[in-house]
Amino acid sequence: MEEFIGEVWHKYISSKVATGFPEAGVELATFQSQLSTYFHCLGGAPGKVVEAAEPRILGNHRPLLQRIAGSHRRAALCWQDQRSLRLPPVIDYLPEKEQNEALYFWLAALGAKLPTMKHWFVENQLATLAILTSHPGLKTGYQMLAKAVVAQRPLIEHLPQKLQAREQAIQRAILKPGSVKSLPLAIGEPLFVPLWLYPAPLYDVGAGNVEDSDEQGASSEKNKTESLNSPRKSAQYFDDEKQTDGLLVFKLEALFSWAEQVDMDRSQQEDLDQDLQGAADDLDVITLSRKRKAGSAKVKFDMDLPAPFNDDLYLGPGIKLPEWNYKKRAMLKDFCFVQPMLSDEAVPSKLPENLKEQANCLKRQFNLLRPLSVLQRRQPFGDEIDLDAWLDIKTQPNVMIDGENLYLAKKKNARDMSTLVLADLSMSTDSGVTTEQRVVDVIRDSLLLFSEALSACDDPFAIYGFSSIKNKQIRFQLLKNFSEIYSDHTRGRILAIEPGFYTRMGAAIRQSVSVLKMQNSNQKLLLIISDGKPNDIDHYEGRYGIEDTRQAILEAKRQGIQPFCITIDAQANDYLPYLFGDQGFTLVRDIQQLPKMLPKLYLNLSQSI
Amino acid sequence: MTQTNADQPIHYQAQKSECEIFEAAANNKLPVLLKGPTGCGKTRFVEYMAQQLNRPLFTVACHDDLSATDLVGRHLIGASGTHWQDGPLTRAVREGGICYLDEVVEARKDTTVVIHPLTDHRRVLPIDRTGEQIQAHEDFMLVVSYNPGYQNLIKGLKPSTRQRFIALEFDYPLAKLETQVICQETGLDKQRAEQLVLLGQDIRRLKDHDLEEGASTRLLIYAAKLMQTTLTTTQACMASLAQPLSDDHDTIKAIERLINAHF
Repeated sequence: MEEFIGEVWHKYISSKVATGFPEAGVELATFQSQLSTYFHCLGGAPGKVVEAAEPRILGNHRPLLQRIAGSHRRAALCWQDQRSLRLPPVIDYLPEKEQNEALYFWLAALGAKLPTMKHWFVENQLATLAILTSHPGLKTGYQMLAKAVVAQRPLIEHLPQKLQAREQAIQRAILKPGSVKSLPLAIGEPLFVPLWLYPAPLYDVGAGNVEDSDEQGASSEKNKTESLNSPRKSAQYFDDEKQTDGLLVFKLEALFSWAEQVDMDRSQQEDLDQDLQGAADDLDVITLSRKRKAGSAKVKFDMDLPAPFNDDLYLGPGIKLPEWNYKKRAMLKDFCFVQPMLSDEAVPSKLPENLKEQANCLKRQFNLLRPLSVLQRRQPFGDEIDLDAWLDIKTQPNVMIDGENLYLAKKKNARDMSTLVLADLSMSTDSGVTTEQRVVDVIRDSLLLFSEALSACDDPFAIYGFSSIKNKQIRFQLLKNFSEIYSDHTRGRILAIEPGFYTRMGAAIRQSVSVLKMQNSNQKLLLIISDGKPNDIDHYEGRYGIEDTRQAILEAKRQGIQPFCITIDAQANDYLPYLFGDQGFTLVRDIQQLPKMLPKLYLNLSQSI
Repeated sequence: MTQTNADQPIHYQAQKSECEIFEAAANNKLPVLLKGPTGCGKTRFVEYMAQQLNRPLFTVACHDDLSATDLVGRHLIGASGTHWQDGPLTRAVREGGICYLDEVVEARKDTTVVIHPLTDHRRVLPIDRTGEQIQAHEDFMLVVSYNPGYQNLIKGLKPSTRQRFIALEFDYPLAKLETQVICQETGLDKQRAEQLVLLGQDIRRLKDHDLEEGASTRLLIYAAKLMQTTLTTTQACMASLAQPLSDDHDTIKAIERLINAHF
């Protein structure tokens, strides 16, 4: 009963204080790509994307009713950092749809002009002035927006006396940007201006103490008026190494709030009987701790292989392959055991947002490479007469010409090439390129972009990854085979790649060759992406590994396959020429260039073979 | 092929010292390579220089089926038997003049065979069909151009060819110059021309992201011309600056917003 009454009251009171015009609301998702283009046109940094901003706590004065309802505590403000421009996920602040739409574009323009800010009040006005000068077409639009925004702000005489001067200054600054030099001081924060950009939110552990005490009763009710489904949450790590660090010791006054500590163990995720998702939605900052429950420390029995039920799906019983022993100068028959596998639990997914732009660009370029028909001269059969050939025969009767090849024929000048990409997924790819990026992440991005590009020009390709533990298990991971269409499933598998074990390259190459051999194309390219020498924990290191790999490559060449290695190992010049020949490899010094280089390299290769 | 040496003076606004360099190259019998994005004034520059140096200009727009024969010439059969017909390159070599190969990377690979001996100290054009070896005329000059932009990925100029040329890089002119060019070419008033140049600069920021190439000076001139007709400014700019650059709906919409932000 209590709950029922609570809900009725909540509905009543929130409808009483609701502001905004939901029916005129505009969603960011509808305009995201237009806004991003617009933002870049106007000078926004090319790498920056447009994203939804999460609501943040505002400390402004609220009328009594809003305080009772516990609403209007938070709103999504527009701000930006190095990564992106954050715009509110929905704008329904103004009564007309067009106005809300124009507000989005206005914010994107302002964002482009104001990449960093020190003082929001002055700089927003100055940037507004700058845009209106450089883009005079926006003047009328801005005036319209400014008036509409001011109309939504509280009437000055309704405000407490001490806040009036400041509100007046803000309204003047909106209507006549540049006219107010400084903001009169007053208690609390001023009501936000939807036309302006704000600095990035500052979060500290004590974020909760900005609440005034009379809110506590209200905020313990679940507030359903704000929907927080899409935006990212800010996160911070909370150091709870020491057992005595319980927050409760210091923060008794905040016991009723969800905002402090939620008993959820991310590494176990067992006791989910509480509404943790709901709680997470209500939190402004999600604090993660590294501690696990006492006694939950795991003992890892098998340091090498994952347990069978956690492992990827084994495809078939495995394949036995030979290995070259240079000391004996002999092939060891059936020495290696290659296990093809498929990560069947990978979730199909779309291309990550941060790669989309690059992928689109590559796609456009590779689209141009679709086989075009080209006129071939001096053909025995064809659609048109080759006048040049005919003239040659008539004018130079002394020159012997074989047969009468007098026609022009249209032929599809197709690149008849199949490519197999073999990616090294050994443990060393776990090392970091930057603080956020590992080698394997760069390999993954490269594979994705490469696939996007090749799928645009219809060249057949397959992608495999490999890592090994001695000769007993060479894990040959199928990411995409030749017959499969490049789809969300493939992408999911590529996105799921993780560093594995060691690098028994010879066996992996032999297996790739046997796959590639079955293709019918004229040219077959085996592209190996590697980050170091072949090695394994048994005798497969140093010269042994190199000799075996070389042998595998020679076998490949003998079967008409062109191997090519892309490496990021700075020492590669010591051994790669021996393995792949002078022209058979390339060293990528800046690994972050790899995603861009791979498709380019493919083009060069496809033309040089 | 087109041969021009019009009587009307051609207008060209120099960006840097390209005119002096070109003239020096011409005086020293050196070939010139012009590179730059589309519509930034490469062709206009060559026409202007040909007029300044008072040499005839033979322009060949290269395409992917253009072979050495098309440049050098071929035998034809007339009423009185066969005769040899010089191609544009051979004419320029014999008579003296500037031979301009526009977008040279598009041409077939066999064209390099005739370009190479003409562009080093030998300055000869061997014609294997007739067995002739023509020593180039005093006033002969070879000029080639190419666009190092998006095509670079697919077709590039071989280093052995590039290294035979004096190279001049072109880019869209600075705002002030571009305004002048637009005013000169179209007679648009200065204020609108300035705004148009600012719009062009905004659009060029999208190069390599949403657009393959930015709005060229040529397109801005088209826009300026349309703006002086009965069309509205937005219509003129949409038709000349948004639609030609992209097929992507969102990009076009964003450019439309941008146009409205400027005018």
